[in-house]
Amino acid sequence: MTGIDGCLAEAMTIPGARGASLVDWTSGLALGEAGEGPGRDHESAAADAAELARLAFENSAFTAADTARTGPVEDLIVTARGSYHLLRFVETEFDSSVFLYLWLDRAEANLAVALFRLKGLTERLVLA
Amino acid sequence: MTGGIPGISAASTASATATATATATAGIPTLDRLAAEGATGALHGCVGALYLTDGAVVHAESPVVPDMGWRLTAGGRLSPEAWEEAVAEGGPGYRAGNLLVERGRLSRGELELCHLSALFDAAYFVLSPLDRSQHAPDRFLGEARHWLGPIRPVPVPVLQREVGRRRRLLERAWPCPEVDAAPVVPVSDGDRGGPGPASGRQAVLAAADGVRTPVQIARALGRSAFATLLDVRRLAAAGLVRTPRADAPALPGPPPPTAPEISLLYRIRDALEAL
Repeated sequence: MTGIDGCLAEAMTIPGARGASLVDWTSGLALGEAGEGPGRDHESAAADAAELARLAFENSAFTAADTARTGPVEDLIVTARGSYHLLRFVETEFDSSVFLYLWLDRAEANLAVALFRLKGLTERLVLA
Repeated sequence: MTGGIPGISAASTASATATATATATAGIPTLDRLAAEGATGALHGCVGALYLTDGAVVHAESPVVPDMGWRLTAGGRLSPEAWEEAVAEGGPGYRAGNLLVERGRLSRGELELCHLSALFDAAYFVLSPLDRSQHAPDRFLGEARHWLGPIRPVPVPVLQREVGRRRRLLERAWPCPEVDAAPVVPVSDGDRGGPGPASGRQAVLAAADGVRTPVQIARALGRSAFATLLDVRRLAAAGLVRTPRADAPALPGPPPPTAPEISLLYRIRDALEAL
């Protein structure tokens, strides 16, 4: 894996993948993208996904820090009639607010496989 | 803000070795024009600098924003020694960033994420200065390069759209820019029963001592200055920190302790070269 582009290229090999982007949820900025964006384009999709991420990340119902677990929310899964939208937060040892966003064709995708692959991808992105 | 003395000295040496063809082109060098020309160099002023390579932004620095070294060392991701080693050994060849990856100190992903975060953060405060009497940089130093080296260049239109979006986010959160530069004063309501602020904001609120301004809190936390500004606006909107009166005289606040006055460094360099 070579950085953001390598991570996105690998994300596109997940069965059913139609588009992937790495998004900063503080502002909704797409730091990189691959494939196609749902609906309009990557940029507006990134901004929409970031709204969702921020709501989940910042609401105490989802972030209640029981025990010593780090990183409160891990994934967000949105199922739509024809597609899945998966958001996976990237954990870093420095200040950041980034998630990997994967848009999948529901007919071709396997949700469990996609989640498993996404977890590995975000971990290796920040593994020296 | 550069992370400590080694960063600053390497920055000035690196710029000093660049072939300086300062800026005698007609008119004020604007970002749009430099992008269209595919320019390479530093657009600088007293609010900071944007570094361009072939018309794309490769680095941004602002004295009010924690730089990459600060971000990586504040949370313990890198030891100060590891950072200084990369700056000292990679700086002269303009490749300190890549050296961190080659030495296995950081993954390429970490380098890109941390650098982009710092770049967009600084660019916001360069193009949208906190002190409204300041203006965006208008001096261009051709061929100047940054010692970190290019990591992930950002096209100028992308940067400008992002700065605009960040401005609108602040405005939507709480349309009182007075809170941006004033000391953050928590409002003690004695009522801790209700739902508290979200995690990031909690840290900002805990660091609010009635003296430090939002960017000083960001520095103390090793955190994005823009994200901290946004948190302070949201805390103000929630009534958890005080909103200064709009007509109150702006408290200048002490300058950040080790802020390099970039334009001063450039003037010193120019003067030395003129000798």
